[in-house]
Amino acid sequence: MTDPLPVPVPILRLPRGPDISGGRGFSRDSRRNSQHFPELQAARAALRERFLRLLSSARGRPARFWLWSGIAVDAEFGAADAEPVAFQVDSLRTPLGVQGAALLRCGDVLAFSIPLE
Amino acid sequence: MAMRQTPLTCSGHTRPVVDLAFSGVTPYGYFLISACKDGKPMLRQGDTGDWIGTFLGHKGAVWGATLNMDATKAATAAADFTAKVWDAVSGDELITLAHKHIVKSVDFTQDSNYLLTGGQDKLLRIYDLSKPEAEPDVVSGHTSGIKKALWSSDDKQILSADDKTVRLWDRSTMTEVKSLNVAMSVSSMEYVPEGQILVITYGRTIAFHSAETLEQIKSFEAPATINSASLHPAKECLVAGGEDFKLYKYDYNTGEELESYKGHFGPIHCVRFSPDGELYASGSEDGTLRLWQTTVGKTYGLWKCVVPEEENAEAAKARTTLPGTAEEEIVAEEIASENSDTVYSSTPEVKA
Repeated sequence: MTDPLPVPVPILRLPRGPDISGGRGFSRDSRRNSQHFPELQAARAALRERFLRLLSSARGRPARFWLWSGIAVDAEFGAADAEPVAFQVDSLRTPLGVQGAALLRCGDVLAFSIPLE
Repeated sequence: MAMRQTPLTCSGHTRPVVDLAFSGVTPYGYFLISACKDGKPMLRQGDTGDWIGTFLGHKGAVWGATLNMDATKAATAAADFTAKVWDAVSGDELITLAHKHIVKSVDFTQDSNYLLTGGQDKLLRIYDLSKPEAEPDVVSGHTSGIKKALWSSDDKQILSADDKTVRLWDRSTMTEVKSLNVAMSVSSMEYVPEGQILVITYGRTIAFHSAETLEQIKSFEAPATINSASLHPAKECLVAGGEDFKLYKYDYNTGEELESYKGHFGPIHCVRFSPDGELYASGSEDGTLRLWQTTVGKTYGLWKCVVPEEENAEAAKARTTLPGTAEEEIVAEEIASENSDTVYSSTPEVKA
């Protein structure tokens, strides 16, 4: 009786290679990097907190969103998600009428502004 | 069920990989640095082979590379007549140490405060890294270019190898303690602190010597010229590779050849066991590094041991998943063409 053929050990994936962009790597996002440079992490945390507070204070304010191809739309700012991936807005004024509630993809938004008072 | 070794190929270098070194075990795992003739040493995650970054700055082939214990610093030795010390977390170049000839070897002391260098100018240099501008301590005596220089005996001694001799030096007196003549050109040297063992390779011989007396403990002969060998941390086995492109694994106690693997497309220049002994890495003339499991079939790093029932379900899942990006398809083809045998149903899972 012949021995059964050995099966290659399965692997989850191949090792990741260098960046295709040709950068030198050493990702700033790595856990090791943030522990090694505490001032950098403190600065990033402070900026992130400022950004989140800005988003929460923007709720309910009239906002203008600049989209691609020179398009700008007005709406009432609602909320944003974690990354953010999208903005939730109310009363979005579009050429087709007013949309009661809508999601604007962040990839489509170039800039947005809100009055501070 | 019999399992066959699946090596993990780490690509990225464009020229032969001539040296590699692991760090110790850190809270973030352990790391691997590879020295390459393309002048761009790379840092990788030790257990997966994932690329972390490339140290950019050398203007010539990098002949030696090492990491300090906690992988916060790296050092490299190059053909541009410099040794460099790098921040291994940010990738920044910290210190450049000018030499008078090609530098071949670099080694940190355990506290990372001193760097030992050796090269073609036949001199050993000890740099105080807190005062890099200061002149290094110089130890002379070698009559041919130094290939490898290592700290030993808790950094109180230095072991260095040139073409035909291996020498032991006392660090405080800077004088030679003992010298060993080697029959053929020394191709590699590894120091194992626990047990004070020195692993030397020359010709087809893999020899083990006492690091304190330089007396030979034992030696094995391989089927082909060996360029590098490494002893498992638990001293159960050793691995060696050389000119026939194959990797050999031997039982340290009996000298019996346990396994051998084809896979590289060129001579193997360096092999090293990971600090936990679970895998070993090989660097080759073919420009790749490969990671090999010490215990074939064990779940570790990217290797996943799958039992038969699980395996059928996973194989079915893999077959029904759509191929990923073009990059992953090319990679899947690469696996099929690399192995001389057909790839079986348990191909690596492809992300949708």
